[in-house]
Amino acid sequence: MPENIKEVHTDNIIVNVKDLNFYYGNYHLLKSVNLYFKKNSVCTLLGPSGCGKSTFLRTLNRMNDYTEGAKLTGEVLINGKNIYDKSVDVVELRRDIGMVFQNPNPFPKSIFENVAFGLKIHGIKNKDFIVERVEKCLKYSGLYDEVKDKLNKSALSLSGGQQQRLCIARAIATNPSILLMDEPTAYLDPVSTSIILDLINSFKKYYTIIVVSHNVQQSGRISDYSGFFLDGELIEFDEAGAFFTRPKDKRTENFITSRY
Amino acid sequence: MEQQLHEPVFPANRGYLKRKKVYNNIAVFFAAAAFIIGSFPVFHIIFEAVSIGYKYLNWHFISTLPTGFPIGAEGGILNAVIGDVYLIVIASILAVPIGIGTGLYLSLFGKKRANAFLRLLNELMLGIPSIVWGIVGFYVFSTNTGPGFHFGFSALAGGLTLGFIMTPIITLLTEQAVNQIPASYIEGALALGATKWQATRSVILKAALGGIFIGILLGVMNIIGQTAPLLFTNYYNTGMPTGVTGPGGAVGDLAMLIFIYIHEPSKILHYKAEAASVVLLLFIFALDLGLRLINYLAKRFIL
Repeated sequence: MPENIKEVHTDNIIVNVKDLNFYYGNYHLLKSVNLYFKKNSVCTLLGPSGCGKSTFLRTLNRMNDYTEGAKLTGEVLINGKNIYDKSVDVVELRRDIGMVFQNPNPFPKSIFENVAFGLKIHGIKNKDFIVERVEKCLKYSGLYDEVKDKLNKSALSLSGGQQQRLCIARAIATNPSILLMDEPTAYLDPVSTSIILDLINSFKKYYTIIVVSHNVQQSGRISDYSGFFLDGELIEFDEAGAFFTRPKDKRTENFITSRY
Repeated sequence: MEQQLHEPVFPANRGYLKRKKVYNNIAVFFAAAAFIIGSFPVFHIIFEAVSIGYKYLNWHFISTLPTGFPIGAEGGILNAVIGDVYLIVIASILAVPIGIGTGLYLSLFGKKRANAFLRLLNELMLGIPSIVWGIVGFYVFSTNTGPGFHFGFSALAGGLTLGFIMTPIITLLTEQAVNQIPASYIEGALALGATKWQATRSVILKAALGGIFIGILLGVMNIIGQTAPLLFTNYYNTGMPTGVTGPGGAVGDLAMLIFIYIHEPSKILHYKAEAASVVLLLFIFALDLGLRLINYLAKRFIL
Protein backbone atom coordinates (compact mmCIF):
# COMPACT_ATOMS: atom_id res chain seq x y z
CA MET A 1 0.00 0.00 0.00
CA PRO A 2 2.50 2.70 0.98
CA GLU A 3 4.08 2.71 -2.47
CA ASN A 4 0.81 4.17 -3.77
CA ILE A 5 1.49 7.36 -1.88
CA LYS A 6 3.72 9.76 -3.70
CA GLU A 7 6.21 11.92 -1.89
CA VAL A 8 4.45 15.13 -0.99
CA HIS A 9 5.45 18.51 0.30
CA THR A 10 4.94 18.27 4.03
CA ASP A 11 4.13 21.95 4.58
CA ASN A 12 0.75 21.58 2.90
CA ILE A 13 -0.36 18.59 4.94
CA ILE A 14 -2.81 19.26 7.75
CA VAL A 15 -3.66 15.70 8.78
CA ASN A 16 -1.11 12.92 8.63
CA VAL A 17 -2.08 9.43 9.70
CA LYS A 18 0.79 7.08 10.42
CA ASP A 19 0.43 3.32 10.83
CA LEU A 20 -3.00 3.53 12.41
CA ASN A 21 -4.42 0.30 13.82
CA PHE A 22 -7.81 0.11 15.46
CA TYR A 23 -9.13 -2.83 17.45
CA TYR A 24 -12.59 -3.39 18.76
CA GLY A 25 -12.18 -6.12 21.37
CA ASN A 26 -10.28 -8.80 19.50
CA TYR A 27 -11.48 -7.60 16.12
CA HIS A 28 -8.83 -5.86 14.06
CA LEU A 29 -10.92 -3.17 12.40
CA LEU A 30 -8.34 -0.86 10.80
CA LYS A 31 -5.12 -2.38 9.58
CA SER A 32 -2.05 -0.19 9.36
CA VAL A 33 -3.58 2.82 7.66
CA ASN A 34 -1.19 5.47 6.29
CA LEU A 35 -2.77 8.57 4.89
CA TYR A 36 -2.45 12.31 4.59
CA PHE A 37 -4.86 15.13 3.90
CA LYS A 38 -3.85 18.40 2.31
CA LYS A 39 -5.02 21.80 3.39
CA ASN A 40 -8.12 23.20 1.67
CA SER A 41 -8.83 20.06 -0.30
CA VAL A 42 -11.78 17.71 -0.44
CA CYS A 43 -10.92 14.11 0.18
CA THR A 44 -13.43 11.29 -0.16
CA LEU A 45 -13.01 7.88 1.37
CA LEU A 46 -14.89 5.20 -0.51
CA GLY A 47 -15.65 1.62 0.34
CA PRO A 48 -18.44 -0.88 0.89
CA SER A 49 -20.42 -0.92 4.16
CA GLY A 50 -18.52 -2.26 7.13
CA CYS A 51 -15.06 -1.66 5.66
CA GLY A 52 -14.06 0.64 8.53
CA LYS A 53 -14.18 3.98 6.75
CA SER A 54 -16.58 5.53 9.26
CA THR A 55 -14.48 4.20 12.12
CA PHE A 56 -11.45 5.77 10.50
CA LEU A 57 -13.22 9.11 10.24
CA ARG A 58 -14.16 8.93 13.91
CA THR A 59 -10.57 8.33 14.94
CA LEU A 60 -9.72 11.76 13.51
CA ASN A 61 -11.70 13.61 16.19
CA ARG A 62 -11.46 10.89 18.83
CA MET A 63 -15.16 10.06 18.79
CA ASN A 64 -14.19 6.45 19.43
CA ASP A 65 -12.96 7.39 22.90
CA TYR A 66 -16.33 6.50 24.39
CA THR A 67 -16.61 3.09 22.72
CA GLU A 68 -15.79 0.48 25.31
CA GLY A 69 -13.29 -2.13 24.23
CA ALA A 70 -11.76 0.11 21.57
CA LYS A 71 -7.97 0.20 21.29
CA LEU A 72 -5.81 2.21 18.97
CA THR A 73 -2.16 2.22 17.99
CA GLY A 74 -0.28 4.53 15.66
CA GLU A 75 -0.36 8.27 15.25
CA VAL A 76 -2.75 10.86 13.94
CA LEU A 77 -0.86 14.12 13.44
CA ILE A 78 -2.92 17.24 13.00
CA ASN A 79 -0.76 20.27 12.25
CA GLY A 80 2.17 18.12 13.31
CA LYS A 81 0.78 17.24 16.72
CA ASN A 82 -0.35 13.75 17.70
CA ILE A 83 -3.97 14.06 18.84
CA TYR A 84 -3.70 10.85 20.86
CA ASP A 85 -1.01 12.46 22.97
CA LYS A 86 -1.90 12.67 26.66
CA SER A 87 -1.56 16.45 26.71
CA VAL A 88 -4.25 16.98 24.07
CA ASP A 89 -7.58 18.33 25.30
CA VAL A 90 -10.36 16.51 23.45
CA VAL A 91 -12.74 19.43 23.86
CA GLU A 92 -10.28 21.86 22.24
CA LEU A 93 -9.53 19.32 19.53
CA ARG A 94 -13.16 18.94 18.55
CA ARG A 95 -13.61 22.67 18.43
CA ASP A 96 -11.14 22.67 15.55
CA ILE A 97 -12.73 19.67 13.82
CA GLY A 98 -16.37 19.90 12.83
CA MET A 99 -18.35 16.78 12.15
CA VAL A 100 -21.51 16.10 10.16
CA PHE A 101 -23.25 12.78 10.62
CA GLN A 102 -25.07 10.38 8.35
CA ASN A 103 -28.47 11.05 9.93
CA PRO A 104 -29.31 14.72 10.16
CA ASN A 105 -29.22 15.10 13.95
CA PRO A 106 -30.27 18.61 14.97
CA PHE A 107 -30.93 18.98 18.69
CA PRO A 108 -34.56 19.29 19.79
CA LYS A 109 -34.06 23.03 20.16
CA SER A 110 -34.82 26.06 18.03
CA ILE A 111 -32.97 26.62 14.76
CA PHE A 112 -31.07 29.54 16.28
CA GLU A 113 -30.09 27.59 19.40
CA ASN A 114 -28.82 24.72 17.28
CA VAL A 115 -26.28 26.88 15.49
CA ALA A 116 -25.44 28.87 18.61
CA PHE A 117 -24.84 25.67 20.61
CA GLY A 118 -21.22 25.30 19.59
CA LEU A 119 -20.47 28.91 20.51
CA LYS A 120 -22.23 28.72 23.86
CA ILE A 121 -20.51 25.56 25.03
CA HIS A 122 -17.17 27.20 24.34
CA GLY A 123 -18.07 30.01 26.67
CA ILE A 124 -19.00 32.81 24.27
CA LYS A 125 -21.55 35.05 25.97
CA ASN A 126 -21.59 38.14 23.73
CA LYS A 127 -25.16 38.09 22.34
CA ASP A 128 -24.48 40.35 19.36
CA PHE A 129 -21.55 38.23 18.28
CA ILE A 130 -23.62 35.04 18.53
CA VAL A 131 -26.51 36.51 16.51
CA GLU A 132 -24.11 37.72 13.84
CA ARG A 133 -22.24 34.43 13.69
CA VAL A 134 -25.44 32.33 13.51
CA GLU A 135 -26.69 34.47 10.65
CA LYS A 136 -23.39 34.16 8.83
CA CYS A 137 -23.22 30.36 9.22
CA LEU A 138 -26.80 29.95 8.04
CA LYS A 139 -25.95 32.06 5.00
CA TYR A 140 -22.84 29.98 4.29
CA SER A 141 -24.89 26.80 4.37
CA GLY A 142 -27.50 28.36 2.10
CA LEU A 143 -30.27 27.98 4.64
CA TYR A 144 -30.74 31.56 5.75
CA ASP A 145 -33.36 32.61 3.21
CA GLU A 146 -35.46 29.56 3.99
CA VAL A 147 -35.44 29.93 7.78
CA LYS A 148 -34.89 33.63 8.51
CA ASP A 149 -38.53 34.12 9.58
CA LYS A 150 -38.64 31.11 11.87
CA LEU A 151 -35.32 31.07 13.70
CA ASN A 152 -37.14 30.36 16.95
CA LYS A 153 -39.09 27.39 15.58
CA SER A 154 -37.98 23.87 16.45
CA ALA A 155 -35.24 22.53 14.21
CA LEU A 156 -37.15 19.27 13.94
CA SER A 157 -39.81 21.03 11.86
CA LEU A 158 -37.37 21.35 8.94
CA SER A 159 -37.13 18.88 6.07
CA GLY A 160 -34.37 16.28 6.00
CA GLY A 161 -32.19 18.22 3.58
CA GLN A 162 -32.65 21.45 5.53
CA GLN A 163 -31.83 19.63 8.76
CA GLN A 164 -28.58 18.37 7.27
CA ARG A 165 -27.64 21.87 6.12
CA LEU A 166 -28.48 23.11 9.61
CA CYS A 167 -26.07 20.49 10.98
CA ILE A 168 -23.42 21.80 8.61
CA ALA A 169 -24.08 25.35 9.80
CA ARG A 170 -23.80 24.10 13.38
CA ALA A 171 -20.51 22.38 12.61
CA ILE A 172 -18.91 25.45 11.02
CA ALA A 173 -20.13 27.88 13.71
CA THR A 174 -17.02 27.33 15.83
CA ASN A 175 -14.88 28.04 12.78
CA PRO A 176 -13.06 24.70 12.54
CA SER A 177 -10.22 24.08 10.13
CA ILE A 178 -11.25 20.53 9.31
CA LEU A 179 -14.73 19.28 8.48
CA LEU A 180 -15.51 15.57 8.76
CA MET A 181 -18.57 14.28 6.95
CA ASP A 182 -19.88 10.77 7.48
CA GLU A 183 -22.02 9.96 4.41
CA PRO A 184 -23.73 13.35 4.63
CA THR A 185 -26.08 12.67 1.72
CA ALA A 186 -27.00 9.05 2.42
CA TYR A 187 -30.56 9.77 3.50
CA LEU A 188 -31.32 12.76 1.31
CA ASP A 189 -33.26 13.25 -1.90
CA PRO A 190 -31.35 14.13 -5.11
CA VAL A 191 -32.07 17.87 -4.92
CA SER A 192 -30.83 18.19 -1.32
CA THR A 193 -27.87 15.98 -2.18
CA SER A 194 -26.93 18.28 -5.04
CA ILE A 195 -27.14 21.35 -2.81
CA ILE A 196 -24.88 19.75 -0.22
CA LEU A 197 -22.33 18.64 -2.81
CA ASP A 198 -22.19 22.22 -4.11
CA LEU A 199 -21.71 23.41 -0.54
CA ILE A 200 -18.78 21.05 -0.09
CA ASN A 201 -17.18 22.40 -3.25
CA SER A 202 -17.56 26.01 -2.14
CA PHE A 203 -16.33 25.25 1.41
CA LYS A 204 -12.98 24.10 0.09
CA LYS A 205 -11.66 27.64 0.34
CA TYR A 206 -12.08 27.70 4.10
CA TYR A 207 -11.84 24.14 5.34
CA THR A 208 -10.15 20.84 4.76
CA ILE A 209 -13.02 18.49 4.10
CA ILE A 210 -12.94 14.73 4.57
CA VAL A 211 -16.02 12.90 3.30
CA VAL A 212 -16.91 9.26 3.81
CA SER A 213 -19.16 7.92 1.10
CA HIS A 214 -20.15 4.81 -0.77
CA ASN A 215 -21.47 6.66 -3.74
CA VAL A 216 -18.86 6.76 -6.50
CA GLN A 217 -20.56 9.36 -8.74
CA GLN A 218 -21.07 11.85 -5.92
CA SER A 219 -17.48 11.38 -4.78
CA GLY A 220 -16.21 11.94 -8.29
CA ARG A 221 -18.04 15.26 -8.41
CA ILE A 222 -16.39 16.74 -5.35
CA SER A 223 -13.05 15.02 -4.76
CA ASP A 224 -9.53 16.36 -4.96
CA TYR A 225 -8.17 13.20 -3.38
CA SER A 226 -9.78 9.84 -3.00
CA GLY A 227 -9.10 6.71 -0.99
CA PHE A 228 -10.55 3.24 -1.14
CA PHE A 229 -11.07 1.11 1.98
CA LEU A 230 -11.74 -2.63 1.96
CA ASP A 231 -11.93 -4.82 5.05
CA GLY A 232 -10.10 -2.27 7.17
CA GLU A 233 -7.23 -1.78 4.74
CA LEU A 234 -6.55 1.32 2.72
CA ILE A 235 -6.22 -0.22 -0.74
CA GLU A 236 -5.46 2.90 -2.69
CA PHE A 237 -5.10 6.61 -2.15
CA ASP A 238 -4.48 9.06 -4.95
CA GLU A 239 -5.45 12.32 -6.58
CA ALA A 240 -9.03 12.15 -7.77
CA GLY A 241 -8.24 12.36 -11.47
CA ALA A 242 -5.97 9.34 -11.39
CA PHE A 243 -8.07 7.51 -8.83
CA PHE A 244 -11.28 7.57 -10.81
CA THR A 245 -9.83 7.12 -14.31
CA ARG A 246 -6.74 4.93 -13.85
CA PRO A 247 -7.01 3.04 -10.57
CA LYS A 248 -3.87 1.01 -9.92
CA ASP A 249 -5.49 -1.74 -7.94
CA LYS A 250 -7.92 -4.22 -9.49
CA ARG A 251 -10.16 -4.10 -6.39
CA THR A 252 -10.50 -0.33 -6.62
CA GLU A 253 -11.39 -0.61 -10.28
CA ASN A 254 -14.03 -3.20 -9.47
CA PHE A 255 -15.59 -0.94 -6.87
CA ILE A 256 -15.55 2.17 -9.04
CA THR A 257 -17.12 0.33 -11.94
CA SER A 258 -19.69 -1.21 -9.59
CA ARG A 259 -18.47 -4.74 -9.99
CA TYR A 260 -18.77 -5.53 -6.28
CA MET B 1 -53.71 -14.59 -21.30
CA GLU B 2 -55.32 -11.80 -19.32
CA GLN B 3 -57.03 -14.34 -17.12
CA GLN B 4 -53.70 -15.86 -16.26
CA LEU B 5 -52.25 -12.52 -15.17
CA HIS B 6 -54.82 -12.23 -12.42
CA GLU B 7 -54.27 -15.80 -11.26
CA PRO B 8 -52.52 -15.86 -7.85
CA VAL B 9 -48.92 -17.05 -7.92
CA PHE B 10 -49.60 -19.53 -5.13
CA PRO B 11 -52.82 -21.44 -4.39
CA ALA B 12 -54.97 -19.65 -1.81
CA ASN B 13 -55.85 -21.59 1.33
CA ARG B 14 -59.51 -20.55 1.40
CA GLY B 15 -60.28 -22.38 4.63
CA TYR B 16 -57.54 -20.48 6.45
CA LEU B 17 -58.60 -17.17 4.97
CA LYS B 18 -62.01 -17.69 6.58
CA ARG B 19 -60.64 -18.97 9.87
CA LYS B 20 -58.16 -16.15 10.35
CA LYS B 21 -61.01 -13.69 10.94
CA VAL B 22 -62.35 -15.99 13.64
CA TYR B 23 -58.90 -16.12 15.26
CA ASN B 24 -58.77 -12.36 15.17
CA ASN B 25 -62.16 -12.07 16.89
CA ILE B 26 -61.09 -14.53 19.58
CA ALA B 27 -57.95 -12.49 20.28
CA VAL B 28 -59.94 -9.26 20.49
CA PHE B 29 -62.45 -10.92 22.83
CA PHE B 30 -59.75 -12.10 25.22
CA ALA B 31 -58.00 -8.73 25.20
CA ALA B 32 -61.26 -6.95 26.00
CA ALA B 33 -62.12 -9.49 28.70
CA ALA B 34 -58.70 -9.06 30.29
CA PHE B 35 -59.17 -5.30 30.38
CA ILE B 36 -62.62 -5.55 31.96
CA ILE B 37 -61.47 -8.05 34.60
CA GLY B 38 -58.35 -5.98 35.30
CA SER B 39 -60.15 -2.68 35.65
CA PHE B 40 -63.07 -4.12 37.67
CA PRO B 41 -61.33 -3.72 41.07
CA VAL B 42 -60.61 -0.06 40.39
CA PHE B 43 -64.24 0.76 39.67
CA HIS B 44 -65.37 -1.46 42.53
CA ILE B 45 -63.08 0.34 45.00
CA ILE B 46 -64.27 3.74 43.84
CA PHE B 47 -67.93 2.67 43.96
CA GLU B 48 -67.63 1.06 47.42
CA ALA B 49 -65.68 3.92 48.94
CA VAL B 50 -67.97 6.57 47.51
CA SER B 51 -71.19 4.77 48.43
CA ILE B 52 -70.09 4.30 52.04
CA GLY B 53 -68.24 7.53 52.66
CA TYR B 54 -70.23 9.93 50.45
CA LYS B 55 -71.72 11.74 53.47
CA TYR B 56 -68.33 13.14 54.41
CA LEU B 57 -67.11 14.10 50.97
CA ASN B 58 -67.27 17.85 51.32
CA TRP B 59 -64.96 20.78 51.83
CA HIS B 60 -65.57 20.79 55.59
CA PHE B 61 -64.16 17.24 55.81
CA ILE B 62 -60.90 18.23 54.13
CA SER B 63 -60.43 21.61 55.81
CA THR B 64 -60.91 20.87 59.52
CA LEU B 65 -58.88 19.02 62.11
CA PRO B 66 -60.33 15.88 63.72
CA THR B 67 -62.11 16.40 67.08
CA GLY B 68 -64.65 14.58 69.26
CA PHE B 69 -64.47 11.22 70.95
CA PRO B 70 -63.06 8.85 69.76
CA ILE B 71 -60.85 11.43 68.07
CA GLY B 72 -62.05 11.92 64.54
CA ALA B 73 -65.74 11.37 65.29
CA GLU B 74 -66.21 15.01 64.52
CA GLY B 75 -64.26 17.31 62.27
CA GLY B 76 -62.23 16.25 59.24
CA ILE B 77 -58.86 15.07 58.06
CA LEU B 78 -56.88 18.28 57.57
CA ASN B 79 -54.03 16.92 59.71
CA ALA B 80 -53.51 14.06 57.26
CA VAL B 81 -53.73 16.18 54.13
CA ILE B 82 -51.18 18.68 55.44
CA GLY B 83 -49.03 15.82 56.74
CA ASP B 84 -48.97 14.16 53.32
CA VAL B 85 -47.75 17.40 51.78
CA TYR B 86 -44.96 17.56 54.38
CA LEU B 87 -43.94 13.96 53.73
CA ILE B 88 -43.99 14.28 49.93
CA VAL B 89 -41.92 17.46 50.01
CA ILE B 90 -39.32 16.02 52.39
CA ALA B 91 -39.12 12.72 50.49
CA SER B 92 -38.77 14.53 47.15
CA ILE B 93 -35.99 16.77 48.43
CA LEU B 94 -34.00 13.62 49.16
CA ALA B 95 -35.11 11.38 46.31
CA VAL B 96 -35.32 13.65 43.25
CA PRO B 97 -31.68 14.80 43.10
CA ILE B 98 -30.24 11.45 44.15
CA GLY B 99 -32.55 9.49 41.84
CA ILE B 100 -31.95 11.67 38.79
CA GLY B 101 -28.21 11.82 39.49
CA THR B 102 -27.90 8.06 39.79
CA GLY B 103 -30.00 7.53 36.68
CA LEU B 104 -27.83 9.92 34.66
CA TYR B 105 -24.67 8.28 35.97
CA LEU B 106 -25.91 4.85 34.99
CA SER B 107 -26.90 5.80 31.48
CA LEU B 108 -24.16 8.27 30.57
CA PHE B 109 -21.06 8.24 32.70
CA GLY B 110 -20.57 4.87 34.35
CA LYS B 111 -18.43 2.01 33.17
CA LYS B 112 -20.03 -1.28 32.27
CA ARG B 113 -19.02 -3.34 35.29
CA ALA B 114 -19.73 -0.66 37.88
CA ASN B 115 -23.08 -0.09 36.19
CA ALA B 116 -24.06 -3.74 36.45
CA PHE B 117 -23.38 -3.58 40.18
CA LEU B 118 -25.27 -0.30 40.65
CA ARG B 119 -28.21 -1.61 38.67
CA LEU B 120 -28.32 -4.71 40.87
CA LEU B 121 -28.30 -2.51 43.97
CA ASN B 122 -31.10 -0.41 42.53
CA GLU B 123 -33.24 -3.45 41.78
CA LEU B 124 -32.60 -4.71 45.29
CA MET B 125 -33.74 -1.37 46.67
CA LEU B 126 -36.88 -1.57 44.55
CA GLY B 127 -37.61 -5.01 45.96
CA ILE B 128 -37.06 -4.27 49.66
CA PRO B 129 -40.42 -4.58 51.47
CA SER B 130 -41.66 -1.30 52.89
CA ILE B 131 -41.79 -2.67 56.45
CA VAL B 132 -38.05 -3.29 56.22
CA TRP B 133 -37.58 0.32 55.16
CA GLY B 134 -39.55 1.21 58.26
CA ILE B 135 -37.05 -0.61 60.48
CA VAL B 136 -34.12 0.95 58.62
CA GLY B 137 -35.68 4.38 59.01
CA PHE B 138 -36.29 3.74 62.70
CA TYR B 139 -32.67 2.86 63.39
CA VAL B 140 -31.17 5.53 61.16
CA PHE B 141 -33.48 8.48 61.84
CA SER B 142 -35.85 7.94 64.73
CA THR B 143 -34.26 6.03 67.58
CA ASN B 144 -32.82 8.17 70.34
CA THR B 145 -30.14 5.70 71.33
CA GLY B 146 -27.05 4.54 69.49
CA PRO B 147 -25.69 6.05 66.29
CA GLY B 148 -28.18 7.81 64.05
CA PHE B 149 -29.82 11.15 63.52
CA HIS B 150 -32.12 11.08 66.57
CA PHE B 151 -34.98 12.83 64.76
CA GLY B 152 -37.56 11.02 66.87
CA PHE B 153 -40.98 10.20 65.45
CA SER B 154 -41.27 13.11 63.06
CA ALA B 155 -42.16 14.14 59.53
CA LEU B 156 -38.44 14.52 58.92
CA ALA B 157 -37.67 10.89 59.79
CA GLY B 158 -40.77 9.58 57.99
CA GLY B 159 -40.19 11.72 54.91
CA LEU B 160 -36.56 10.70 54.56
CA THR B 161 -37.49 7.03 54.91
CA LEU B 162 -40.10 7.45 52.19
CA GLY B 163 -37.42 9.20 50.13
CA PHE B 164 -35.39 5.99 50.16
CA ILE B 165 -38.36 4.15 48.70
CA MET B 166 -38.82 6.81 46.05
CA THR B 167 -35.18 7.03 44.96
CA PRO B 168 -34.80 3.72 43.04
CA ILE B 169 -38.03 4.35 41.14
CA ILE B 170 -36.77 7.72 39.91
CA THR B 171 -33.37 6.20 39.11
CA LEU B 172 -34.91 3.44 37.02
CA LEU B 173 -37.21 5.75 35.08
CA THR B 174 -34.48 8.36 34.52
CA GLU B 175 -32.11 5.76 33.14
CA GLN B 176 -34.78 4.41 30.82
CA ALA B 177 -35.73 7.89 29.66
CA VAL B 178 -32.13 8.81 28.85
CA ASN B 179 -31.50 5.49 27.11
CA GLN B 180 -34.41 6.21 24.79
CA ILE B 181 -32.84 9.44 23.54
CA PRO B 182 -31.24 8.82 20.15
CA ALA B 183 -27.46 8.41 20.50
CA SER B 184 -27.06 10.94 17.68
CA TYR B 185 -28.10 13.81 19.99
CA ILE B 186 -25.31 12.99 22.39
CA GLU B 187 -22.78 12.35 19.62
CA GLY B 188 -23.72 15.58 17.91
CA ALA B 189 -23.08 17.56 21.08
CA LEU B 190 -19.82 15.76 21.84
CA ALA B 191 -18.55 16.24 18.29
CA LEU B 192 -18.99 19.99 18.71
CA GLY B 193 -16.63 19.90 21.67
CA ALA B 194 -19.18 19.73 24.47
CA THR B 195 -18.15 18.03 27.67
CA LYS B 196 -20.40 15.23 28.83
CA TRP B 197 -21.99 17.47 31.41
CA GLN B 198 -22.68 20.20 28.84
CA ALA B 199 -24.27 17.63 26.54
CA THR B 200 -26.33 16.32 29.44
CA ARG B 201 -27.48 19.69 30.66
CA SER B 202 -28.33 21.30 27.36
CA VAL B 203 -29.54 18.42 25.21
CA ILE B 204 -30.24 15.27 27.16
CA LEU B 205 -32.07 16.55 30.23
CA LYS B 206 -34.57 18.39 28.09
CA ALA B 207 -35.25 15.45 25.83
CA ALA B 208 -35.59 13.12 28.81
CA LEU B 209 -37.69 15.50 30.90
CA GLY B 210 -40.95 13.69 30.20
CA GLY B 211 -39.59 10.34 31.34
CA ILE B 212 -38.01 11.83 34.45
CA PHE B 213 -41.30 13.48 35.41
CA ILE B 214 -43.08 10.18 35.02
CA GLY B 215 -40.49 8.68 37.37
CA ILE B 216 -41.13 11.36 39.99
CA LEU B 217 -44.87 10.91 39.57
CA LEU B 218 -44.68 7.14 40.08
CA GLY B 219 -42.43 7.66 43.09
CA VAL B 220 -44.84 10.10 44.74
CA MET B 221 -47.81 7.86 43.98
CA ASN B 222 -45.96 4.96 45.55
CA ILE B 223 -45.01 6.67 48.79
CA ILE B 224 -48.35 8.37 49.30
CA GLY B 225 -49.96 5.02 49.95
CA GLN B 226 -47.24 3.69 52.26
CA THR B 227 -48.08 2.99 55.89
CA ALA B 228 -45.49 0.43 56.98
CA PRO B 229 -42.40 2.71 56.85
CA LEU B 230 -44.27 5.35 58.83
CA LEU B 231 -45.17 2.97 61.67
CA PHE B 232 -41.68 3.24 63.14
CA THR B 233 -40.63 6.69 61.95
CA ASN B 234 -43.60 9.05 62.09
CA TYR B 235 -46.70 7.17 63.16
CA TYR B 236 -49.54 9.65 63.37
CA ASN B 237 -50.58 12.98 64.73
CA THR B 238 -54.14 14.12 65.18
CA GLY B 239 -53.11 17.76 65.10
CA MET B 240 -50.58 19.89 63.32
CA PRO B 241 -46.86 19.34 63.90
CA THR B 242 -45.41 21.61 66.58
CA GLY B 243 -41.70 21.03 66.03
CA VAL B 244 -39.14 19.67 63.65
CA THR B 245 -37.96 16.61 65.56
CA GLY B 246 -39.24 14.53 68.44
CA PRO B 247 -42.83 13.67 69.10
CA GLY B 248 -43.97 17.17 68.17
CA GLY B 249 -42.60 16.74 64.66
CA ALA B 250 -44.95 13.92 63.75
CA VAL B 251 -47.63 14.62 61.14
CA GLY B 252 -50.85 12.96 60.09
CA ASP B 253 -50.99 10.88 56.96
CA LEU B 254 -53.94 9.71 54.89
CA ALA B 255 -52.86 6.09 54.57
CA MET B 256 -52.05 5.97 58.29
CA LEU B 257 -55.39 7.63 59.09
CA ILE B 258 -57.29 4.97 57.16
CA PHE B 259 -55.30 2.25 58.92
CA ILE B 260 -56.06 3.69 62.38
CA TYR B 261 -59.73 4.58 61.78
CA ILE B 262 -60.51 1.11 60.41
CA HIS B 263 -59.13 -0.39 63.62
CA GLU B 264 -61.38 1.71 65.85
CA PRO B 265 -64.64 0.09 67.04
CA SER B 266 -66.74 2.94 65.71
CA LYS B 267 -69.05 2.93 62.68
CA ILE B 268 -68.56 6.63 62.10
CA LEU B 269 -64.78 6.26 61.87
CA HIS B 270 -65.18 3.41 59.39
CA TYR B 271 -67.25 5.68 57.17
CA LYS B 272 -64.67 8.40 57.52
CA ALA B 273 -61.93 5.97 56.57
CA GLU B 274 -63.82 5.17 53.35
CA ALA B 275 -64.25 8.86 52.65
CA ALA B 276 -60.53 9.39 53.30
CA SER B 277 -59.76 6.65 50.75
CA VAL B 278 -61.68 8.60 48.15
CA VAL B 279 -59.76 11.74 49.08
CA LEU B 280 -56.50 9.78 48.73
CA LEU B 281 -57.54 8.54 45.29
CA LEU B 282 -58.48 12.05 44.23
CA PHE B 283 -55.16 13.31 45.60
CA ILE B 284 -53.28 10.81 43.44
CA PHE B 285 -55.45 11.67 40.46
CA ALA B 286 -54.76 15.37 40.94
CA LEU B 287 -51.02 14.70 41.26
CA ASP B 288 -51.13 12.74 38.03
CA LEU B 289 -52.88 15.54 36.18
CA GLY B 290 -50.59 18.16 37.71
CA LEU B 291 -47.38 16.41 36.74
CA ARG B 292 -48.70 15.76 33.25
CA LEU B 293 -49.44 19.45 32.94
CA ILE B 294 -45.92 20.35 34.08
CA ASN B 295 -44.51 17.85 31.62
CA TYR B 296 -46.57 19.35 28.80
CA LEU B 297 -45.60 22.91 29.69
CA ALA B 298 -41.93 21.98 30.01
CA LYS B 299 -41.90 20.40 26.57
CA ARG B 300 -43.72 23.33 25.11
CA PHE B 301 -41.92 26.30 26.57
CA ILE B 302 -38.45 25.29 27.80
CA LEU B 303 -37.26 24.85 24.25
